[in-house]
Amino acid sequence: MRRYTVRRLLLSVGVVVAAMLIGAGCSDDDDGGDSGEPITIGVSLPLTGEFSQPGKAAKQGYEVWRDTVNEEGGLLERQVELEIRDDASDQNTVVSDYNALIQREDVDLLLGTFSSLLNLPASAAAERNQMLYVEPAGGAPEIFERDFQFGPFFTQQATAEKQGDLFVDWLLNLPEDEQPKTAAYPVLDDPFALPVIEAMRKKLEDAGIETVYDEIYPVSTSNFDSIADSVKSENPDLVANGAQFDDGIGFRRSLSKVGFEPKMLFQTNAPSFGSQYSDGVGVKNTEGTFFAISHTPDATTPGNEEFVQRFEDEFGEPPAEDAADAYASGQVLQAAVEEVGSIDDQLALADWLRDNTVETILGPLEWEDTGAPIGEFLIGQWQNGKAEIVLPEDAATTDEIITVRPAAE
Amino acid sequence: MAAGASRGHHDSGSRHHKRMTEFIQQTAFGLLIGGVYALFASGLTLIFGVMKVINIAHGALLILGAFLTFTLWEQLGIDPLAAILITTPAMFALGWVLYMTMVRPLRSAPLSSTVLLTFGLALVLEAVMGLVWGNNSRSARPSYFDQSFDVAGIVLPKAQVFAFAIAILVLTLLFLFLARTWTGRAIRAASANTQGAALVGVDIARVSVLTFAVGVATVGAAGSMVSVLYPFLPGSHYIWIARVLSIIVLGGLGSLQGAAIGAVLLGLAEVYTQTYVSTEWATAVPYVLIFVVLFFRPQGLMGTRLREDVAV
Repeated sequence: MRRYTVRRLLLSVGVVVAAMLIGAGCSDDDDGGDSGEPITIGVSLPLTGEFSQPGKAAKQGYEVWRDTVNEEGGLLERQVELEIRDDASDQNTVVSDYNALIQREDVDLLLGTFSSLLNLPASAAAERNQMLYVEPAGGAPEIFERDFQFGPFFTQQATAEKQGDLFVDWLLNLPEDEQPKTAAYPVLDDPFALPVIEAMRKKLEDAGIETVYDEIYPVSTSNFDSIADSVKSENPDLVANGAQFDDGIGFRRSLSKVGFEPKMLFQTNAPSFGSQYSDGVGVKNTEGTFFAISHTPDATTPGNEEFVQRFEDEFGEPPAEDAADAYASGQVLQAAVEEVGSIDDQLALADWLRDNTVETILGPLEWEDTGAPIGEFLIGQWQNGKAEIVLPEDAATTDEIITVRPAAE
Repeated sequence: MAAGASRGHHDSGSRHHKRMTEFIQQTAFGLLIGGVYALFASGLTLIFGVMKVINIAHGALLILGAFLTFTLWEQLGIDPLAAILITTPAMFALGWVLYMTMVRPLRSAPLSSTVLLTFGLALVLEAVMGLVWGNNSRSARPSYFDQSFDVAGIVLPKAQVFAFAIAILVLTLLFLFLARTWTGRAIRAASANTQGAALVGVDIARVSVLTFAVGVATVGAAGSMVSVLYPFLPGSHYIWIARVLSIIVLGGLGSLQGAAIGAVLLGLAEVYTQTYVSTEWATAVPYVLIFVVLFFRPQGLMGTRLREDVAV
């Protein structure tokens, strides 16, 4: 009796397995998944911890992209679902998140996390698992020096070391008496902020602009009065501060506190956060500050107006730059999948991106074989309480560029 | 020749004057920061002294105090430093509730259990703050936030000066409370020797809840200062708990005076390192200082060896 039951059980299992194998063999499933089943995209973001501010903005950008795609009929006619995890701004957690998304959750595609610090290990995890990796942040040069095949494809216009190029070119083309003679470079120890400022410093030194202060401060720095006072004592014409958000705010506030207003001020990241920057430093202290930026809500790029409108409808405020970058990552992934017509071969998706230009809300994006973008960043400047684009001329939202900050006059 | 020598002498004098001014300036910055750090750390060391609980949620409670203050400033226009009068009692009440609901059940559990509990509490608080206030960075901007006093060429940022003065006032009141009141003496007795205090009639349960609530109340006041002095978001508590723990380890776990001295030393070490060594080492050098102090005095600057230590 017992042998009969076991045999019948084995038979049943055999029939089920055979049916599954036959079913799988017969299916004509081009897109690498069950037709009609949603496409799941795995993402890990710093929703808590140090990078939670850009992490949250990126999440909003991804969600707006998902909703837009789904409304338009989905990706390969399948609805898109996002599986988002919180990496708590931690390098170890981001790796375990992506490994779990790929190996346990069996996601179909990936989108990147935020900051070079986290994308560096996260993109390595994607590469090990042979998954295409498209990232909205992560422009540190070393990210693209690893001969990876599956990415990372950085969906901004330029890598970090090129983000100040336009500003430096503009500076060196000013009449000689308007050019700065001396410069100070207080920089956050961050794989994104450092290369921007180092590249600027090198070019300006080559052009004869003397470096009077060049210091790197650690991520955990909270007190900037002492640093601002040291900068003040050197009285530089130009201060170029490589920063993320909080430290950028802290340093700017400290400049005011120690009573120093340089003729020219350039900061990375923080001033691109719109009203969050002016709320942090005070509107009057924003005037004349330069920054590099990848997106502006006023841009006339294809789809930007719709994106901004949708974002404002959903979240009640204009999109931060980080949200727009995340949306652009979605657009890039979408373009590759739709043009290749399948998600089976992730290397084919990567190769397609290497060979093609993608129209995004940031403008057209194209990449080197390494995944580093080929393009130029925009340069913004705060004028009359508003962040304007001043360079390049064809993208400028104003004709005026403030060469000497009013507070320094 | 004489003119050249005179100019050289003048240049040398000018350089010396500049160096002195710089030193005084940095010392002023360090003392102002240290005074505020002392308040940040006082609650944590007080709680450890009486209960032997390392409250890892201290940093998150600090940020909660900052968010409450920011809301009072933004919504009602209340000056962030004046808001201490509201945040302190509010946080006292929160401390009382947290102790009764979460800490008390684990009073007799090993130290590691309360560390895990309070770490969990920190994560919950971070998540709640994220839900209520979002993950955007905030900082209050009262009229004086970017202004300074100029005293003979030494810059004293107004926000730092006001925060320092309030921190000294709060710490003085705390010292007086501990030294002059019966309840304060009971807290000190429980801190020095819990069993001995119980034997002479101190109600340890009551003292514990009161200490925890007072500790959280001081961090409420400190949070109000954070809201003006530093940008903050829910995840900022990791930086602060690391710094505050360093202060109380340096000063001696459980010692209020030690925390004050440790805080000032850390503040000075930070600014001197930024100015005279490198900004890159500014957060590392103070920890080297802690290592050196602990090498010679494992109990910290003002900590006392317990009988168990001596037995070992």
